[in-house]
Amino acid sequence: MSWIREGELNLLEKISANILKAGPMPKHVAFIMDGNRRFARKKNMERQEGHMQGFNKLAETLRWCKHLNIQEVTVYAFSIENFKRTKNEVDGLMELARQKFEKLLEERDNLEKHGVCIRVLGDLNMLPLDLQQLIAKAVLTTKAHNNDVSEPLLSECLYSSNSPNPDLLIRTSGEVRLSDFLLWQTSHSCLVFQSVLWPEYSFWNLCDAILQYQLNHKSIQKARDVHREQQASQQLEADRASFCSFHINNMGKAKNTASNAGTRSSERLAGRHKPAAEPIKKKPAPKKAPKAKKAKAAENGNNKAEEPKAEATEAK
Amino acid sequence: MALLYSLLWRLLLVLVHINRALVSWFRARLRSWKGRLWERAVAALLLPVALAGFPDHQKKLIQNPNANANPVTENRTAGRRSRWLSDGRSFEKLPVHIGLLVAEEEPSYTDIANLVVWCMAVGISYVSVYDNQGIFRKNNSRLMEEIVRQQQDLLGADGSKYNVEFLSNGSDQHQHHVLSCRPTLKVLSPEDGKQSIVQAAQQLCRSVENKERSSKDISVSMLDTMLRESKNTPDPELVVKFGPVNSTLGFLPWHIRLTEFISLPSHRNVSYEDLLGALQRFGVCQQRLGQ
Repeated sequence: MSWIREGELNLLEKISANILKAGPMPKHVAFIMDGNRRFARKKNMERQEGHMQGFNKLAETLRWCKHLNIQEVTVYAFSIENFKRTKNEVDGLMELARQKFEKLLEERDNLEKHGVCIRVLGDLNMLPLDLQQLIAKAVLTTKAHNNDVSEPLLSECLYSSNSPNPDLLIRTSGEVRLSDFLLWQTSHSCLVFQSVLWPEYSFWNLCDAILQYQLNHKSIQKARDVHREQQASQQLEADRASFCSFHINNMGKAKNTASNAGTRSSERLAGRHKPAAEPIKKKPAPKKAPKAKKAKAAENGNNKAEEPKAEATEAK
Repeated sequence: MALLYSLLWRLLLVLVHINRALVSWFRARLRSWKGRLWERAVAALLLPVALAGFPDHQKKLIQNPNANANPVTENRTAGRRSRWLSDGRSFEKLPVHIGLLVAEEEPSYTDIANLVVWCMAVGISYVSVYDNQGIFRKNNSRLMEEIVRQQQDLLGADGSKYNVEFLSNGSDQHQHHVLSCRPTLKVLSPEDGKQSIVQAAQQLCRSVENKERSSKDISVSMLDTMLRESKNTPDPELVVKFGPVNSTLGFLPWHIRLTEFISLPSHRNVSYEDLLGALQRFGVCQQRLGQ
C-alpha cells in the first residue's frame, strides 16, 4: 500500500474542513497510533495484519492533514520498550518497516510530486542494520523535497545569488536614499552617502568612503552577528519542529515555481540534517508512552499502547 | 613597512575619533548655551502668546478656577503645542511616516519618548521606532509608559488629543487611523524585516499549493500588499538614524526603497531642534523617481 493517498475530500468533509479552517489551526500534529493489535483481535486477524492496517490509516490521515493545511505530522512509531514484545511480533514489525521503506524508495517520484519529506528520529542503532540503511536511503532520498522558504533560500533566489552581499554601498550626489537598489542585500552593509557628483568623483572620495567603512566595521560586524544569531535561532526552531517528526511538506503546484529553489534549500540544509542513522535527541512526549505501555503490559501482557509503525521507527 | 602602515592606520582612526569627540562636545556646549537663551526668550514671550492664541483655553481657566492643572504649566504646554504645530506647517513637506532607527547600545527611553511626542506634535501621522536587537520590542510597555509620561509633561492635560495608538507586530487590528487622524506608533524589530518577507513568501507558496492562487499571480504588488496587510501604513519617507553606525541594520528592507536617511550623532539628550534640523533637511529633498 502506498504512502501517498490521492483524492479529494467528499462534499461533507470539505464543508467541515472549511468550517474548521475558519478558526485557528494547528500547524503540527502528533499522533500516538494505538490499538492495532486490539483491532486485529476484534477482526479475527493476525496481529501483523493489524499493524498493516495501521499503516494504511497513517497514509490516509496524512491525506486529511494535507487537506486541512496541517504542514507537519509526527507519529509515534516504535518504542524501545516494544523490543520486549515477542520476537515474532518485533520481527514482524521490522519486516513491515523494511517493506514500507522499500516502497517509499519505489514511490520516490510520487513523494517528490507531493513534496513529502521524511525524517526519522531516535536511536536507530537499535534497529537491524539493513533497516538502518534503508531508512538512511529513504531520508536522504526525500530530503530534497524539503523546501521551507527561509532567508537563505530567498537570498539564493535573487539575481545576486552568485555574489555575497555588498559590504559597502556608496551613493554620490548628495541624495540619501537607496532608490530600490539591493534593498535585501544591503540590510547590513555600510551605507555611505557622499555629496560629490559622480562625474567628479575622486580617489579621495573613495578613500573617505572606505574609511567610513573601516570606522563602522566593528559595529556592523557586531550587528551582522546579532542578525545571524536571530536567523539561526529562527532556523533552529523551524528545524526542531521538523527534525523531530515526519515532515510532510505540502508543495503541490508551488513546487513548479520553487522546485529548484527547494533543491538548493535542501542542499543548504543537508549539512545541518544528519543522516538518520545518527542518534537524535528524543522528544519528551514519547517518553511518557513507554511507561504507559509498561503498565498496560503488566496488566495483560499484550495490550501495548502504541502502534509500532515500522515505516517510522523511533527506537529510543 | 607593513607595520608602519598598520600603525599609521591606527593613528588615522584615532584622529578621526578625536575629531568626532570634539565635534560632539562642541555641539553639546553650543546647545546648552543656546538653551539658556531660548528659555529666557520663551518665558518672556509665553504669556502673551498663550493669551492671544487660546481664548477658549483661557476662558476655561477662568470658569474653572479649581482646575487641577497649574495655569502656568497649562500655558507653557499650550505654547509648546502651538509652536510645534506651526513648525510642522512651516516645512516644505513633512513625512507622513517617520522611522526612528536607534543604532546605539542601551537606548534611552526618555529621549525616544520625547522624539515620538515631538514627531506627533509637529503633525507626523506614523512614527516607527526600531533597533536591531529588538530591545524596544521586548520592552514595549516600558516605552509606552515613557511616551505617555512625556506626553503629559510636554503637551499637558490636553495631550490626549494626540491619542497614540500603539501597534506592535502581530496586531491584526484594522487601523482606520487615516479617518481618525490619530498618530500611530509602531515598535519594530528585525523580525519585521527579512523575517516578514520570508513569512509572506511561505504564505504565497502555500496558497499556490492549495490552489487558491496560481504561481503566475505572484507579483511584486501582491507581495507588497501582503507585507502591508498587517502593517497597513505607508512606507517611511524619512528615517532618522541615531548613532555612528552607517547601516540600516535590517530596518524594513522592503519598505525603504524611497526612504531618505538622515543621520544624527546620538539619540541621548537629543533636542527638539535636532529633530527640526532633520525635518528641514528632509523638506528640501527632491525625488525624481527615476526620471
